[in-house]
Amino acid sequence: MPTLESRPAIYTTRIIDRREPAPGIVILGLHAPALAADTRPGHFVMAIPPAGVQAAVALGIYEARAERVSLMLVDAGPRTRALAALAPGDSLELLAPLGNGFFLDDLPDHVGIVAGGVGLASVLLAAEDIVRRGKRATLYYGARTARALVDRDLFAAAGCAVECATDDGTFGHHGYVTDLLRIADAPTLLLACGPSPMLRSVSRVAAERGLRAQLSLEETFACGVGACWGCVVPLDRASAQAPKFPEAGADESRTYVHARICKEGPVFWAHELRW
Amino acid sequence: MSGVIATQPNLRVRLGGLDLAYPTLMGSGCYGSGDEYAPFIDLAGIGAVVLKSVTRAPRLGNPTPRLVQTPGGMLNAIGLQNPGIDHYLAHDVPKFASRPCGVIGSVAGFSLDDYAYTTEKLGACDEIDAIELNISCPNVASEGETFSCDPRLTHKVVAAARKATAKTLIVKLSPNVTDIAAIAREAEAAGADALAVINTVRGMAIDVHAWKPRLGNVTGGLSGPAIRPIAVLAVYEVARAVAIPIVGQGGIETLSDALEFILAGATAVSIGTGNFTDPRAPIRIAEGLRSYLAERGLASLADIIGKANAGFKNATEFSGDEG
Repeated sequence: MPTLESRPAIYTTRIIDRREPAPGIVILGLHAPALAADTRPGHFVMAIPPAGVQAAVALGIYEARAERVSLMLVDAGPRTRALAALAPGDSLELLAPLGNGFFLDDLPDHVGIVAGGVGLASVLLAAEDIVRRGKRATLYYGARTARALVDRDLFAAAGCAVECATDDGTFGHHGYVTDLLRIADAPTLLLACGPSPMLRSVSRVAAERGLRAQLSLEETFACGVGACWGCVVPLDRASAQAPKFPEAGADESRTYVHARICKEGPVFWAHELRW
Repeated sequence: MSGVIATQPNLRVRLGGLDLAYPTLMGSGCYGSGDEYAPFIDLAGIGAVVLKSVTRAPRLGNPTPRLVQTPGGMLNAIGLQNPGIDHYLAHDVPKFASRPCGVIGSVAGFSLDDYAYTTEKLGACDEIDAIELNISCPNVASEGETFSCDPRLTHKVVAAARKATAKTLIVKLSPNVTDIAAIAREAEAAGADALAVINTVRGMAIDVHAWKPRLGNVTGGLSGPAIRPIAVLAVYEVARAVAIPIVGQGGIETLSDALEFILAGATAVSIGTGNFTDPRAPIRIAEGLRSYLAERGLASLADIIGKANAGFKNATEFSGDEG
């Protein structure tokens, strides 16, 4: 299994910048040099919310360079609202870096990155990495509406081509982002992060067209570190990522195991998921 | 005490034969098999970890979704996913030897024989300091919670486990009963060394767009601050009914939360869902308890256990220097 070694810890960071590229979408820049150095594409954090708010929040690591790490979040509830309200100078504690990250060791010449909504947060580092390895990267980016498509310029600056789709047709293709993959010369490897329906669609398109796809799954986490077994997904028992213990004995015909999205994942090969 | 240097208040407590440096436990199911939080906290700063429940046979657990955030807490329905006792003994238990805190194994089952079998096997391990009997999981089909909802069955299952191990036996009670004191008395009579009060409260959430339950298991167990008053009352009632020590649990996140349980009659507290907000909560609570006692000139936790409970009859033993 292509494991990316990291040393998770509790990081106490300080917010150094904050921007709101679209209404309700907030990007927090953090001073976190050690974390930046230990972060790989696809890693996530559990952000310990300010006092008085329950339960840590899972967020993808968006940028990681030199002394700065950034997190992207959608202001969509009491927990994320408390984080969205943070300002430069405030401190923020994180359990990080968590998860396995994307498998980027054996890349084809052209890699497609499929992102929906805030799933964008988990793929910028992957795009940078792919380009750094001398490969071509194309971002297929979908959102509800043009205003919710953020930071396309950041991907372009990283050397990544960008193609967009919106639900309401206000920018790019009018329809699903996965429609953009139904082309003759589609990339033979896809990395995807976004809402479950989009990921299932990526999985279907990949299967139909014989493409390989890595999906970074989103799920409600309680612990985020593999302790509670609350975020499992059915995974082919032959997968290299399958937890190594035997199965409920009676059903010998069952071909899957329950893997933790936060621990064995969040990135899984689409063809190995049994969801 | 009249030393020139003020003595640090004593936080050591005993649960049956289990001597704990701190009265703080990590709740079962919230700490996995012991490794998951090791990168984040110093386990030497907590009393004990209560491991995820293990059953006789491996279990796949419930379908997803298994978690739903709710106001002041969360619903879970994991379904006791675990590798089964044989694999657990071979692969997980050996890792517990190096833990710098107490290690409490948790046993769940579906029959008296299951409980006796798994308790005997786990209790025989040197790495395991005590056994928590989980007779109150609300998230498994049929029998899951039956044992903790019937006083006679509680007696039988605790007696069966008691025969199976000489280790300290902590019985975890369900709040989903009419009279928790009656259940507690039966557990004590059958040989329990301590009681864990409470497990999760049964609950449900419905997706109003999809017109279906939000948990794959339909029903779940509610935890977090939302259930704290229910749990404090349960500890209060149990502490008037039995003389064995109580581990209070249910929505504890802060020192103040822990104090409520201790003042109601708990000898120790267990932090479960609170770990998910901040895994350092158990360590902060222990530090806070020490300061709380010191500020009041109290020498030991024994000085405050059950002090808000006039009918408290707990006869907890304390180790080390007592005030």
